Amino acid sequence: MTNTVLVIGGGPAGLEASRGVSDLGNPVILVEKNAFLGGNPIAERYAMLTGPVFRDAEEAMQDLIKPVTDDSNIKVHLSSTVTALDGELGNFTATITSESGTTESVTVGSVIIATGFKHFDPGYTSGAQQHWGYYEQPDVLTLTDLEKMLKDKNVVKPSNGKVPERVCFIQCVGSRDRQLGNQWCSKVCCGIACKQAIEIRELLPDTRVFIFYIDLRAYGFWEDELYWRAQEQHNVNFVKGVATEVIKRGDKLVVKGEDTTMSRPMEVEMDIVVLSVGMEPSQGTLDMANMLHLPLEDHGYIKTIGGPLNTTQTERPGVFAVGAAVGPADLEDSISSAGAAAMKAVSALRKLKLSAVAGD
Amino acid sequence: MKQNDNRFLEQEEAFIDGIDVSGRWNRMLLDRVIKDFSIENKEKVTAVPGAESFGWCYQCAQCVTVCPVDHVGDYGPRKLVRWVETGMDLFNDPNLYLCTTCGNCYRVCPKAVDMMKIMPAVREEALLEGFVPEELEKALENSSRYGNPLGEPARKRVDWIKTLEEGVGVPIIKSVGREVDWMWFVGDYPAYHPRGQDAARAMARVFNKLGIDFAILGVEEQSDGDSQRLAGEKGLFEQLAEKNMAAFDKYEFKEIVVTGPHALNAIRNEYPKMEGGKEYPVRHYTQLLVDYIDKMEFTREIPIRVTFHDPCYLGRHNGEYEAPRKLLKAIPGIELVEMGRCKENGYCCGGGGGGMWTDSYSIDFMKERLSDRRVKEAVGTGSKILAVSCPYEVSRFEDGVKATNNEGMLIVRDIIELIDYAMGGDSPNPVF
Repeated sequence: MTNTVLVIGGGPAGLEASRGVSDLGNPVILVEKNAFLGGNPIAERYAMLTGPVFRDAEEAMQDLIKPVTDDSNIKVHLSSTVTALDGELGNFTATITSESGTTESVTVGSVIIATGFKHFDPGYTSGAQQHWGYYEQPDVLTLTDLEKMLKDKNVVKPSNGKVPERVCFIQCVGSRDRQLGNQWCSKVCCGIACKQAIEIRELLPDTRVFIFYIDLRAYGFWEDELYWRAQEQHNVNFVKGVATEVIKRGDKLVVKGEDTTMSRPMEVEMDIVVLSVGMEPSQGTLDMANMLHLPLEDHGYIKTIGGPLNTTQTERPGVFAVGAAVGPADLEDSISSAGAAAMKAVSALRKLKLSAVAGD
Repeated sequence: MKQNDNRFLEQEEAFIDGIDVSGRWNRMLLDRVIKDFSIENKEKVTAVPGAESFGWCYQCAQCVTVCPVDHVGDYGPRKLVRWVETGMDLFNDPNLYLCTTCGNCYRVCPKAVDMMKIMPAVREEALLEGFVPEELEKALENSSRYGNPLGEPARKRVDWIKTLEEGVGVPIIKSVGREVDWMWFVGDYPAYHPRGQDAARAMARVFNKLGIDFAILGVEEQSDGDSQRLAGEKGLFEQLAEKNMAAFDKYEFKEIVVTGPHALNAIRNEYPKMEGGKEYPVRHYTQLLVDYIDKMEFTREIPIRVTFHDPCYLGRHNGEYEAPRKLLKAIPGIELVEMGRCKENGYCCGGGGGGMWTDSYSIDFMKERLSDRRVKEAVGTGSKILAVSCPYEVSRFEDGVKATNNEGMLIVRDIIELIDYAMGGDSPNPVF
C-alpha cells in the first residue's frame, strides 16, 4: 500500500486539500486540467471575493496556491486529467494524461475529487432560460462577464462602449428552477450581486444599480457585510420580483416584471442587465463520477453518503469528494470540506496500515 | 367623491351636458405600470439628518401589522418607503402627516427604521416649504404665540384652580418661597380643556389628601413642546423648552411630576439633548402615586369592569406599564381587564406626533379615527370604564364613544379621576 493521496482539481478546494494532506505528512499528487492553479476564481478572472469580503481574488488565491507550489511533498500535474482509476483503498492505480497526450501511471492510497462547478449558461438550450436574451442582446451580461469588467475597472455598455447610467441584476437565473432540473439555490449569487453592485457604485458613483430578486439569500454574515452594506451605504435598490422580459428599445433595455411589494407591473429602462447565474456540476465533476462509477445525488452532483454528518465520503471507500463537486458551495464551504476530506483521506490510510500491522 | 384605489378613478356624481354619467359610467382605468423608480425621491428623504434610516427598510412588512394607521387606512411604514421609491414626494404628500409616532413599528422593526426620527425631520423640511395641514399650522402658531396649542391666554392657565372647593390648595411655586418636594408640571390640556381640568382638580384633591408637598409653575408654564417637535417644529419646541427650563431653574424642588406622558418624554428624553439642555428628575403622576397606595383611604367602591389604555409615550416610549395598573387594582371593586392590544403592543389613540391637531385632515385618509377603533376594542372587553392616563385621551375617547354610538355603554375616565372618586372626592364626573 501507499501513503500518497491523489487530489483531482486545483481550485480552492483541491489546493486546500493538498495542503492539508501534506501538512499531515503524506505525499500528494495534484492533477489540474488547466495550465495554472486556482480554479474558477483565476480562470474566470474574478475581481474580488465575496468571502473574505472584498479581497482581490488573485491576491487571495495566492494564499492557497503558494503553499502548494512551494511544497516539495506535493507533485503538481498541470494541463492534465485523470483518465483511469482502478484498485481500492490503499492501492489505487491512476492514469494521468497530459494535454499533449503523454500518460503516466501512479499508485495512490486514497483520492480526493475537487472538480468543482461551472457557471450556468443562460443560453441553455432547454428554452426555459432563453427569455432574457443573453445571446441576442450585447448589453445582457452574466455575473462572470461583469466580474471580468470589474477586474479591469472598465464597466461599459458592450453595445456602444458608454458608461451605463443604470445597471440591474436579475437573481436566480439557472437556479431554483424545476423546469430546468436545477432545483437548488446556488448560495453565492445574492452575495455576489450585492458585492458587484457595491463595486459598480464605487467605480461609477453616478450609475444607479437595481437588484431584482425573489428572496434575497445573503446567508450568515453576508446579511450585513454585503446586503445591508449595499442597501444602506451604497444606495443599491432592491426590488422584490424577478423581471421576466428584457426588450430592446433604442439603445436601452426595457426590463419588465412585477414589483410584488406594490402588486404593480414595472417596465423600467436599463443600460446593462446582469443575469445572476448560478452553479451547475462541472464537466470534470461529471467525468470523474462517470469514470469512478460514483453515483450522483438527485440534483446531479457527486453523492456523499453521510448526509450532513459526513460531507465528503463517497460510496467508494477511499474516494472523497469536496467543495462544489458535491453541491453548490461558496469559498468557505469549499475550504472547510477540503480540510475535512484531507483528514479523512489520511486517516483512512493510517487505519488500514494499523489493521495490516495487527494482522487483521 | 372620487374613488381611487390605484386601479381606477371614478366620480360618484358626474354630469356631462346634463347627461348623468355618475359612477361606473365615468370610470377610467389608470395606468398601473411603474415606469421608473424614484431613487431621487428616496435619497431626498435619507439626506435629511435624522431620516437616514428611511433607506434601510427591506420590506419585511412586520411594521404594517402593528401600525395603528394601517388598521384604518392604507398608510403603513414599509408601504410608505415603497411609495417613495416608486414616485411619491414625501415632502408634499398627505401621508407625511398620518404617522402618530406611536413607536410600534420601531418596536418590531429588525432594521431599526426609526419613524420617530424620520417623521419630525422630514416634516421640518416640509414646514419650511409651506406644506402643512391648516389645523396643525394653527396649533403651532398658537403654541408660538400663547405657549399652548389651544390658543388660550397664558393668564388663564391657572383658572382651573378657581373652581376647586375650599381647603384644596394648589400653591404657585413663585409664592411658596422655599424648596418643595414636587414641582407639578400640569400641562396644556389639564390647564385649559374642560375635561382636562376635571383631572387636574382631581389630582389636586388627591395630592392634598395624601399630604404631598407640591407646587405648580402657574402662568410661567409653557407647553412641553414634544408633540410640536414631532409634528416638525423643532425650533418651536426648543423655544418652549428653553422657557420651561428657565422657569424650572428659578425655583427649588426635588423632582418634577407631570400629568402627561408627552411632558414626561420631553423633560426626560428631549430637554437633556438640547444645546444647553439639562436633566431634571421627572416622573409621571402614576409613578409618583404608586408609592402612596398604602396611604390612600378609599371611601367608595367602584364595582365595575375597567380596561386601561396604555399611552404610547408612557408605555412604549418610556417603559412604564405597571404603575397605572397597580393604581387601578388598588381601587376597591375594580375588575381590571386587558384589551387585546395592550402594553408593548398598545394601540395608539391617534393624538401623538401632532395627531392631536390633524384630526379633520387625516380623516380623509382613514375609514375611522384611531380613537374610535380603540373605543370599540374597549367596549368589546365588556368594560364600562375606559381608564386613561394621558391628557390627550379623555376628549379623544369621549368623542369616540359618541362617534361609535356607544354612549351609555362606556365612560372614559382618567385614572386620577377614579382614585379621587374612590377617595371620596367631590368629582363632577361620578362613575355611576
